[in-house]
Amino acid sequence: MSKTIIATDRQEIDIKACFDPATGIVDRRIFSDEAIYQKELQQIFGRGWNFMCHESQIKTPGSFFMNYIGEDEVIVVRDRKMNINVLLNSCPHRGNTVCRAELGTTKSFFCSYHGWNFDLDGSLVGMPGETEFYANEIDKKAWGLTPAAKVENYRGFVFATLDPDAPSLDDYLGWVGRLSIDFMASKGELEFLDGVHKNRLKCNWKIAVDNLFDWYHVKVSHGTAFKIGLVAEETMAPNRQMVMLGEYGHGIGGPGITEAEQAEFDARMAGAAGEHQWYDRSAELRQDPGVRQQLGPVGTRSFGHPNIFPNLWVSLTNQLCLRIPRGPFETEIWWFNYLPKDMPEADRKYAIFGQNHVFGPAGILEQDDGENWSHSTRGAKGPATKNLPLNFSMRLGKDQVLTDPSGQSRIETVVNEHGQRWTYQSWQEWMLAESWQELMANHSMPPQGTV
Amino acid sequence: MTTYADLSPQARMLLTFEVQEFLFHEANLLDSRRYAEWLEVLADDIHYWMPIRRTTQAREVHLEFTQPGGMAFFDDDKGILSMRVQRLSAGRAWAEDPLSRTRRLLTNIVVTAIDGDDITVASNFQLYRTRLNSEEDEWIGRREDVLRRVDNSFKLAQRHIYLEQTVILAQNMSSLF
Repeated sequence: MSKTIIATDRQEIDIKACFDPATGIVDRRIFSDEAIYQKELQQIFGRGWNFMCHESQIKTPGSFFMNYIGEDEVIVVRDRKMNINVLLNSCPHRGNTVCRAELGTTKSFFCSYHGWNFDLDGSLVGMPGETEFYANEIDKKAWGLTPAAKVENYRGFVFATLDPDAPSLDDYLGWVGRLSIDFMASKGELEFLDGVHKNRLKCNWKIAVDNLFDWYHVKVSHGTAFKIGLVAEETMAPNRQMVMLGEYGHGIGGPGITEAEQAEFDARMAGAAGEHQWYDRSAELRQDPGVRQQLGPVGTRSFGHPNIFPNLWVSLTNQLCLRIPRGPFETEIWWFNYLPKDMPEADRKYAIFGQNHVFGPAGILEQDDGENWSHSTRGAKGPATKNLPLNFSMRLGKDQVLTDPSGQSRIETVVNEHGQRWTYQSWQEWMLAESWQELMANHSMPPQGTV
Repeated sequence: MTTYADLSPQARMLLTFEVQEFLFHEANLLDSRRYAEWLEVLADDIHYWMPIRRTTQAREVHLEFTQPGGMAFFDDDKGILSMRVQRLSAGRAWAEDPLSRTRRLLTNIVVTAIDGDDITVASNFQLYRTRLNSEEDEWIGRREDVLRRVDNSFKLAQRHIYLEQTVILAQNMSSLF
């Protein structure tokens, strides 16, 4: 019997039925349903560790950078003790924002409505009429700006969570999340550059996120980049892939080389004969024994795209891409740019050239993504199309997880959708858990054996 | 060195007319999708640049735009601009397939400096774009161009574009400004 396409929505969508790990089928309504979106803001963005900025962006007391946790605006600010605070940008008197700039330096946050004034750690300093109108009865300790529950950094990358029950950042990231940042931090001390490329897409945030694991779209969506010689096809879209999956939804997916290829590369670098390979430029950056030590024997061979769940893509192009939700049908894309502090001037110019021309709204590669993601989102809200399944089955049941003696487990395969399936499976677990305690108790460990 | 202020009213009128004629023609080439001809009006050493703009506190307005050499939406030489044009006919340039419909309106065109053959021109622009059935984008901003006198015409030697947006409210900027 065929299933009817048009259905009458009678009840709340069952999250348990939204993703089937056995088939890789995803319910499209997770990209369009308003109730699901509101729940994501609470249970994923409100609970998780969200990337705020790098500590080099706010070096001096009073310097601040504005970011978001879900749809809540937060001020990330360095105080006089050099601590980094993350404060909800909302005055406790009427709710007004107390900071309107994206970045800058200030002595305090002064509310433009009635003049309540807050220190760099969020504490209430005073307000007009404290004695005359309030008779000194405002408990200033109780009426400061609300800080994030926890602020921690890993190698200078600052994260915050609104949930006091969240595990430490280190535990949250696990080895896959830490490796994602180690790819960058192993290059030496990093300096974030002035200027974040920002634009808005009419897509659901998860469609942007799942694309970073998607090495299937590259030759089609970005086919023009090869044709005009911006980048070689074999370098940009190799079939050889490696996937690493971590607790709570973190993952790294993309190009990777085999142990044999690594050995061949090392021999060639040591003087043996051999031809230039597609992975040379990536492997050249991983020759330093200290770097290899930090990345581990498997991590050294991965040149993939990491996602720190939920929405931080760490790109090997010295960039970070944050996908900030703006409703079920809109996402803000922020590209942060950074470079190793001691990078030679010529390399710097070349790196900045890449940062300005590949991604971002005018990027020669990324400009072709937006409409695909927006129209995929549109396909999740048609009265008929929203009820049709989406197929995420590529390489399901076809690959093995291998674990290195170092503990680094990975899948070595061809183009696949393991990273996307892991994202949606983890998303489902986050959405089903009522608390961090439940999520910690019930979330899946990264798979072993056949995947 | 002659400055614009040194010129007679008649000479200023003539120069402004020539500059306008060039800019209108150049805009029309883009509106008409005559990209190969557009590349021909660019000087070989053109700098085509659109910095990132930010909302700042009024007293830190010096931070409003990113600086040359740093992060930018466009920081192109002629090679990159040629690549952008080449893209359009290479196939699979999805941001422009189907093609966008664009119209450029130029106004407030003012010569601000003359340095030998290089004439600096400020102008305001509106770039209106529609795509598919109902996609609509609009960019308004200011440009600081350098027009270089070559033979009886000009070549565009610099285009600095300052948009009235911080977060770009479009899915992409596949159009040229």
